[in-house]
Amino acid sequence: MRLELGNFFVNKVTFGEVTGFSNGTLTINKEEAIAFVKEDEHITECDIMIANPGDETRIVPVKEAIEPRAKVDSKAAAFPGVTGDLSQAGIGRTNALKGCSVLAVGKHWGSFGDGLIDMSGEGAKYTLFSQLINICLVADTDEEFERHSQQKKNKAIRWAAHRLAEYLAKAVENQDPDEMEVLELGSISKRGSQVEELPSVVYIMQPQSQMEEKGYNDLLYGWDLNQFLPTLVHPNEVLDGAMIGGSYMCCSSKFSTYDFQNNPTIKRLYREHGKTVNFLGVIMSNLNVSLEQKERAIYFVAKLASMIGADGAIIAEEGYGNPDADFIGCISALEDLGIKTVGMTNECTGRDGRSQPLVTLDEKADAIVSCGNVSDVVELPAMKTVIGELEALSRDGMSGGWSSDEKLGPSVRPDGSIIMENDSMFCGDQICGSSPKQVREF
Amino acid sequence: MKKAVLYINQFFAGIGGEEKADHAPEIREGVMGPGLALKASLKNAEITHTIICGDNFMGSNTEEAIEIIGGFLEDIEFDIFFAGPAFQAGRYGVACGTICKYVEEKFGVSTITSMNDENPGVEMFKKDTYIFPGGKSAAAMRQDTKKMAALGDRILAGEKRFLAEEEGFFPRGIRHQVWREDGLIAADRAVDMLIKKMAGEEFVSELPIPKLDRVPIAPPVMDLSKATIAIVTSGGIVPIDNPDKIQSSSATRWGRYSIAGLDRLESGVYKTIHGGYDPTVADANPNVVVPLDVLRVYEKEGKIGKLHDYFYATVGTGTSEAEASKMAGEMIPFLKEAGVDAIIQVST
Repeated sequence: MRLELGNFFVNKVTFGEVTGFSNGTLTINKEEAIAFVKEDEHITECDIMIANPGDETRIVPVKEAIEPRAKVDSKAAAFPGVTGDLSQAGIGRTNALKGCSVLAVGKHWGSFGDGLIDMSGEGAKYTLFSQLINICLVADTDEEFERHSQQKKNKAIRWAAHRLAEYLAKAVENQDPDEMEVLELGSISKRGSQVEELPSVVYIMQPQSQMEEKGYNDLLYGWDLNQFLPTLVHPNEVLDGAMIGGSYMCCSSKFSTYDFQNNPTIKRLYREHGKTVNFLGVIMSNLNVSLEQKERAIYFVAKLASMIGADGAIIAEEGYGNPDADFIGCISALEDLGIKTVGMTNECTGRDGRSQPLVTLDEKADAIVSCGNVSDVVELPAMKTVIGELEALSRDGMSGGWSSDEKLGPSVRPDGSIIMENDSMFCGDQICGSSPKQVREF
Repeated sequence: MKKAVLYINQFFAGIGGEEKADHAPEIREGVMGPGLALKASLKNAEITHTIICGDNFMGSNTEEAIEIIGGFLEDIEFDIFFAGPAFQAGRYGVACGTICKYVEEKFGVSTITSMNDENPGVEMFKKDTYIFPGGKSAAAMRQDTKKMAALGDRILAGEKRFLAEEEGFFPRGIRHQVWREDGLIAADRAVDMLIKKMAGEEFVSELPIPKLDRVPIAPPVMDLSKATIAIVTSGGIVPIDNPDKIQSSSATRWGRYSIAGLDRLESGVYKTIHGGYDPTVADANPNVVVPLDVLRVYEKEGKIGKLHDYFYATVGTGTSEAEASKMAGEMIPFLKEAGVDAIIQVST
């Protein structure tokens, strides 16, 4: 499979007459863009706001992040099965607007899996998204059935953000990119002896699929991963819009669509391919709740890894708590087959840091990269501007916020300052690989 | 100038050796013995008082010792608390750990001690206080107190979090996230780690998995109708006044309570003091945790030979493996003496 990513480096986003890209500036005709978003009748209110790195801006509740992408010379959708009909992702040419993201932001209402982004100050270091120019789609919807639910599918606003991301990237359809990134990885069995002599490595992803009801989980080509058995996926498919982030997991653990599109572990394995390793591809698994479903997925992952001849594996878990069983179980099964495995996860050690970091442990899991701690308490001053609604952090059951606490008070204080757990930092633990954080003993 | 207190045993106070190990706690103003070495390194505080206690007194009358020392400390002001160094002396190490844990919990003051890594006090208390790995004997006094003083000075200067690996104290099982100075992202760390692991080279996991101390499953009881059965619970069922003062979490104590002649545990007479589950059901019917009622029925029906005359209780939540195995070691002689063949451990 060969994918050409036409990268356009965006260093400024502004509103103007004509939506287009020139000299690093992305201009958006706001009225037209909003009209496009509102083609979905479920979007009842909608605004677009820009948040730049360094702005004294807090964005909450953030539900999803997407890098603007559009296929070139093709009718294929950037997010097949979501923004358009199904087509093969990971081939052909895709334009990408780098350095920015479209954020799906609730105008009022938050939910369990939503997150917070500070664009400057102490809070900025908690999330990668403070370093991007964020095109915030701030919207409300007619989804009355879940208005006051802690768990929300957030479908209308998430789909609106995917559509807007594709809409914006279409503006550069006829332009030459600043950079052409070619991602090519051929058949596993026909790579020649020089590559095949290198140790073979497979990357295993465990995206969220814990909700039995459809609409909350991560998607593969629009398919809910709860009703799914692990399968072999080409790394280009992950990078090219086949994977869509969900609306369930506690936010710092979450893989947003942006994180799939820019997965740094896949990128690094691509760079090592043919030099130090033979990068076989990706096994896409899931994280279901019942033990039987966990075991079935583990058997499939281990079997697939063994069939394609993996000597080593890197496995990344989207979540903590219950999914730790899938994560540790999978590592154990792979090690039993002689496949050397490195696990990527975050930890939940409690506010005092003393709790067992994962709910289950196994001595076979002897190589773990630990990307963050969901329970670390973060206290941050007020910001000049709030995009969205700050009260959502206290009011709406976001995983790292609370309405009252005997010792700490509410998460949101009258002066606009906040206290929360890292748990709700938007995709803060970056288990896909960009986390500069590590958990250590004190 | 901030104020420090140092705890030492009767030997290092110059009172005497084994023959004086029953020495009751006392407090003296000023510095003596190991305090002189500690004072030489400690910059940000003055050691205003020294507490002395015999190792056997602390070991055998722990609660009394803690109560007396707690009384001393309530009357004085102090900003930091040191104990030892205890080197390889087992009872002294346990005493240092015991008093540091108490002082930290009761007074909210940081505590620092030092002992050799073979000292049993390390395993028992490393999660409760800062323990530096120390020498085997008093020959290491200067270097051991120097490490204690250095950390103490930083705490007194207002620093709050210290990385175990960098400072050198035994890891306390307290884990927090940090931003790496080299900025190396997780993807690169993972791929580098995997390349090393596949090549059989050394690598360092970021989440060390504690070695599990597995106990083999006991062989089945061949004939239950002749067996003596005992109930041991970590579910915290105790007589209503909790006579052994078992803690609601992180327990270090346990109790055995007679059930001779009883057919069931009555609500209001027994209750749970376990802090880790909703007590409503267990308080209303303690037999859901200590199933005395059904076991008496089994006993009458001849399904089991006999129910042991006592049940044994502690609290499991937050209780360390080291404490749990220590308590088991204390219970086992009673069970063996009574000829117990099998134990039912009820989960909660």
